[in-house]
Amino acid sequence: MLLKVQLMKPIRKLDQMVEYLKSKGEKKRIAVANAQDTNTIGALAEAVKNGFAEALMVGPKSEIESAARQQNIDPGIFQIIDIKDETEATFHARKLVKNDEADVLMKGLVGTDKFLKAVLDKKDGLLPPKAVMSYVCAIELPKYHKLLFVTDTAVLPFPDLKQKVAMLNYSVEMANKFGVEKPKVALIGASEKVSEGFPNSIDYAMISKMAERGQTKPCIADGPLDVFLACDPESVKIKGVNTPVGGDADVLLFPTLEACNSFYKGLMLFGGGELAGLIQGTEKPVVVMSRSESAKSKFYCVALSCLMSENN
Amino acid sequence: MFDALKNQDRKKLVAAWANDAHTIGAVSEAIDKGIVDGILVGDQQVIKQTCESEGIDISKFTIVHVDTDVEAANKSVEMVANGDGDVLMKGLLSTDKYMRGILNKEYGLLPPKGILSHVTVIQNPKYHKLLIVGDVAVIPQPDLKQKIAITNYLIHAAKSLGVEKPKVAAISASEQVIADLPSSSEATILAKMSERGQIKGGIVEGPLALDLAVDKASAQVKKIDSEVAGDADCLLFPNIESGNVFYKTSTKLSDTELGAVVAGAKVPAVLSSRGDSTQTKLYSIALAALMSK
Repeated sequence: MLLKVQLMKPIRKLDQMVEYLKSKGEKKRIAVANAQDTNTIGALAEAVKNGFAEALMVGPKSEIESAARQQNIDPGIFQIIDIKDETEATFHARKLVKNDEADVLMKGLVGTDKFLKAVLDKKDGLLPPKAVMSYVCAIELPKYHKLLFVTDTAVLPFPDLKQKVAMLNYSVEMANKFGVEKPKVALIGASEKVSEGFPNSIDYAMISKMAERGQTKPCIADGPLDVFLACDPESVKIKGVNTPVGGDADVLLFPTLEACNSFYKGLMLFGGGELAGLIQGTEKPVVVMSRSESAKSKFYCVALSCLMSENN
Repeated sequence: MFDALKNQDRKKLVAAWANDAHTIGAVSEAIDKGIVDGILVGDQQVIKQTCESEGIDISKFTIVHVDTDVEAANKSVEMVANGDGDVLMKGLLSTDKYMRGILNKEYGLLPPKGILSHVTVIQNPKYHKLLIVGDVAVIPQPDLKQKIAITNYLIHAAKSLGVEKPKVAAISASEQVIADLPSSSEATILAKMSERGQIKGGIVEGPLALDLAVDKASAQVKKIDSEVAGDADCLLFPNIESGNVFYKTSTKLSDTELGAVVAGAKVPAVLSSRGDSTQTKLYSIALAALMSK
């Protein structure tokens, strides 16, 4: 079994992640807060059917069952914990994760604000003191030869240096889980030049040196680089830039949420991309999905949470 | 340095308020070595007396008479601005009067937005080559822009001394990047600018603690993978205190020779201390002659 698992990494496609989880055959317990959600119930059912997840559906039982039937899913594949009150259901799902009775926390039919408030609660929440919460997506693109990990698409609007370092470390951790040992991290700007007029370029100079000095998780980080220099060896050659990333980036770290969000949405819409994304920084994986993601991407998000809750 | 100067044309040196024995002696030796032609701007009478008491042949100099030190500074700067001098030298006047002459906008010795900085070349018997360091005397707390200028001057000086691709160590207290410590963060930025070709002619690495810059064994212990570590040609100090303490420790507590110039003006300007030896002044003249275009 172990041999088989090792052979399957590094994972270069999101489908390979699913194959990997199936072959491993470990069932991760996902606690869903207010699971009566037609938006996510299909992705959960698929994860359960693929044999790598158990779904602990917290919420009003009758509504959960009817949401399942609406999607032609047999509610019997889920474990349902009948709690009618929205807040109580959220807290209960959180408690399951907190008490190690579940491995992953997932948002169902509850406002993102309310859900995250529960996650961030100082006393009962899932974020360790002083930890930075961020978001990393693994993106699969027809035009790139491997998965691209991008951050931060959803949580930190204007990350400062410390937050960028946290984002880098989270992305490296995620890439590691996919079997990429020493990921190449491109710190994205509009140009490769360092200038005081572009504060992000200054942060990037620091971060790349910090990586070189072993002050981050092991990776090869370089920036500023534009997206061409990050992902296209030909551009590196033409521009003659001396960069260890060499147009072969595994991770793209963006300077702002807007930039990263636009990048990934552009790729989903025009580039035929699929993604798996996850909140980072919490004690255990937390899944919050956008309604507008494709059914496939939603399933991948659930699968990613199971991959990330691996102990190795 | 003297060997390197053999292949070079003689430079015209203008010494401001050159009334004292050390200045006249150093210029005299530089003339004898064929490095420069010497123009002494000062009190003719005093120069004559000094030459007599030192046994120096006054006829080797061109003498321009002025009555005061301020006049001497202005006259010397004017001559250099007019192209009558390649190297400027400070004689027996205070640094501020000398610098004020250089900074005088009327003569335009300092280009608009130009940055003046002090470059020192140190020869220490315990190091395998010359060390070019800055800034130990002029800019108290250089900002990033000034550090870029200082780095360029260090590289220029090292190249003038025949180092093909000078290795510059940007000094801080540790090799770790400490974002809140300006010496550390700015050293990091300079290293990246060098990597990106925004600083040309040399290689900048930083942050490096001093031991990692000049001692291979220390660099190996800390696993610093850089060709600069342990083999630096140039040391960029984060501020005047650290640079000044380094250079004075080198001169007073070990067997060190040095030469120094101010870079950034139209021509290199020798700015040795009035108390410096004739030898130091001679080295400084040689360095200035090498750095002069």
